[in-house]
Amino acid sequence: MQLFLDGIFLGSIYALFAIGFTLVFGILDRLNLAHAAVFSTGALVGIEVVTRWGVSIWLAIPIVFALGALLGVLIERIAFRPLAGRHDAHFAGLISSIALGAVILSVLQALYGADTRRFPAEAFPSTRLEFLGATFSLLQLMILVISVTLMVVLTWVVAKSKLGRGMRTIAENPHAAAVLGLNVGRISSTTFAISSALGAVAGVLFTLNVNAANLGIGHAVELKALAVIVLGGLGSLPGALVGGLILGLAEVYAVNTVGSSWRDMVAFGLLFLVLVIRPQGIFGGRKVREV
Amino acid sequence: MFEYSSLLTFIALTAILAYSFYAVLIAGQLSLAQVGLASLAAFTSSLVVPNEPLFGFIPPLMVGVVFGMAVGAIAAFVLGLPVMRLRGVFLAIATLAFGEMVRIFLINQSWTNGAQGLSFPKLVGIETAWIALALVAFWFWRLSGSRMGRAFAAIREDELAATTMGINVPRYRMASFVIAGAVAGLYGVLFAHFTRFADPNQFSFEAAVDGLVTAVVGGTTFFVGPLLGSVFLSALPELQRTLGIDAGWIRPAISGLLLLIVILFLPGGLAGLIPRRRSSTRLVSDPAALPQLEPLPARGTEVMALRALGKSYGGVRAVHDVDLTLATGEILGLIGPNGAGKTTLVNMVTGVTVPTGGSGTVLGIELAAKTRAHQLARAGIARTFQQIKLFNRLSALDNVLVGGYRISRNTMLRRLVFLPSARRFEREAAAVASAQLIRVGLGDKATTAAGDLSYGDQRRLEIARALASHPTLLVLDEPAAGMNHVEAERLSELIRSLAADGVAVLIIEHNVRMMLALCDRITVLNFGEVIAAGTPDEVARDPRVLEAYLGAEGDAAATAAAEELAEVAAEAVKGHDGDAAGTEGAR
Repeated sequence: MQLFLDGIFLGSIYALFAIGFTLVFGILDRLNLAHAAVFSTGALVGIEVVTRWGVSIWLAIPIVFALGALLGVLIERIAFRPLAGRHDAHFAGLISSIALGAVILSVLQALYGADTRRFPAEAFPSTRLEFLGATFSLLQLMILVISVTLMVVLTWVVAKSKLGRGMRTIAENPHAAAVLGLNVGRISSTTFAISSALGAVAGVLFTLNVNAANLGIGHAVELKALAVIVLGGLGSLPGALVGGLILGLAEVYAVNTVGSSWRDMVAFGLLFLVLVIRPQGIFGGRKVREV
Repeated sequence: MFEYSSLLTFIALTAILAYSFYAVLIAGQLSLAQVGLASLAAFTSSLVVPNEPLFGFIPPLMVGVVFGMAVGAIAAFVLGLPVMRLRGVFLAIATLAFGEMVRIFLINQSWTNGAQGLSFPKLVGIETAWIALALVAFWFWRLSGSRMGRAFAAIREDELAATTMGINVPRYRMASFVIAGAVAGLYGVLFAHFTRFADPNQFSFEAAVDGLVTAVVGGTTFFVGPLLGSVFLSALPELQRTLGIDAGWIRPAISGLLLLIVILFLPGGLAGLIPRRRSSTRLVSDPAALPQLEPLPARGTEVMALRALGKSYGGVRAVHDVDLTLATGEILGLIGPNGAGKTTLVNMVTGVTVPTGGSGTVLGIELAAKTRAHQLARAGIARTFQQIKLFNRLSALDNVLVGGYRISRNTMLRRLVFLPSARRFEREAAAVASAQLIRVGLGDKATTAAGDLSYGDQRRLEIARALASHPTLLVLDEPAAGMNHVEAERLSELIRSLAADGVAVLIIEHNVRMMLALCDRITVLNFGEVIAAGTPDEVARDPRVLEAYLGAEGDAAATAAAEELAEVAAEAVKGHDGDAAGTEGAR
């Protein structure tokens, strides 16, 4: 039971990162590799806000959320929008987002240095809970609840709201969407803003959980998140959650059976197998692009 | 000079890694496995590199390089088998996963010394690195003008069109994978024997991204791209150090910004800044340069026979029970309202779509589930597309040269050693392509990129490309769309002259007047069924044909066709000779 819960909690952190990641892919068909830098920004700015300003964590999270949204808009404007209509937008988008991510990280380095930083010990109540003989922290439970809530809310937004209809129209055909009078630019920006705001908050929660953050944490989670969103089906929000939980469980059980040095083999082995056997993932209704 | 020898060696090695990315990018693929392949080659080479020259004269490094390239190529082939059917981001992620799996595997092996890393003898210096780079760059330089290089470019631009030119797309994609694997293996072995120490964690995702960035920044449309990318990205930190920029964060900031600027404002990468001719080949209008082509089959030879051929999509019968034959020298027209199944039928005949019912033989090849479009193309079928499918970034002449794939020879190996025959074969291919380009009236636009041509010119270019393969059976899907009457009449003349040469022509067209004047026989499809077939005269008088067109409400082309049909039929009733009416109509 302890193993199972540990797996679920680990998976919910992966899912938190992956939901924002997959949202952009699902709508705009672009992988935003600056997402890792946003994640690190959330973590480091969160620590700064709590330690330097003495703000409570409950206020810090909305601040980080807003900052993440702002970053998302910047990423869309700088790294993606200028590429619209270019034949190599796919490759170019990957690389421009890597470049912008590097710039964001260098700014973080200028502000906070390259050292590992932590939240103060009392930043989050360290309450332990017990369930069927397994123990876990209040924080872990909160992360799981947030992931599930976000998934449900976002799925609803994409499926039902006016914004969501706009997103899906753009996903189907950006030219047609523009002809229909949709403000493609604004909807894209909003999608990036939501995605990055979630990425930044995920950074805070992840850092609270492992209690250490440095510039590179985003990259460490990014690869896992890639595995998660492919596992669940690229672009599928419920898929990101389920994929995250599956990966979390698989890793925890793998560490228990084959040892921690082989742990990452599970993530990438799963990723490879899924791509070869079922490239559309578990929840992917989307057709895998032929070209 | 000497203080920079380490930097210069590093530039050469980084460029070699970038070439391994370039090798897949030129075929339109994105692989992130290159660094993993390099790592595999580097560590396994430590098991075989001898201390003393092998047999007393083969240098140890040579043994390592040959072995490493073989390991890289074989591993790329094994990886390629399952992942070759993936495209774009999916291929990138699958290869990334493979690279990480290699890393984790090597870390957990005792013979690699795990994360502690392994020592290698210092066998690579600045000369070795640059000689290796020169050889790799030479290979890609010679590749770029060869038939193989053109095939890669065609696959990058449009896979489906490339297939219908006779290019075996899966095999070429695999070839680019294997070449990239060999170059990655070379890089791995050289890198380890230059740095004298390597641990598997150096060959990480970040290293793969660096290699990709180097290749893309340099540019993937010109063979010097990877070298330029490597010089730019390797020299940048050094330059900043010389300028006295030291603060830890400024360097990555400047590098990141420059990378962003290059990718946003230089779509062709740094290589795009080098002025050069748009097309690698020039128009050859000398008729003496034309090679002797194989004669077409005798007039009247049956090249296509369909028996009850059909295609359904999940219960919807797009085409069913179509019987059709076609012989050389004959022009067969296919008409019918939109959605009648004309294009589906043509796709089945050209091997693009697999039939679900009936049978068919085209140029001696059975239309079966395992029949591939490129096999039919190699047998002598050529086609154009309703939705124009050109290789947009290639010049008009290069487009037609790809069309000549079937009748030209692979010159890659000959080009490597500059055999005179390589030049002769390339010149012959250029002469065939030029002749077709001039034939359709695009001789003066040979160097224009296909994507920049006007709509009508693009249609003509597609026809020239199809003709360049010296086809026995030519399939034209709405070739006159967007052409005015004069242009359409010129096209009709071209098609008649082809039929007179003995080519079998299957043509779909909405311009009914043109069809009635041009075709020997016409088959009319509606809702996937043949509703009428016969001479243009018989078809024009058939009331079912008019009904079919009138029934297709809201279809502007069908309404226009119905009006034309009615006129032609009325003229015929007035006592005119049917043929004359048709010819008048086309004028």
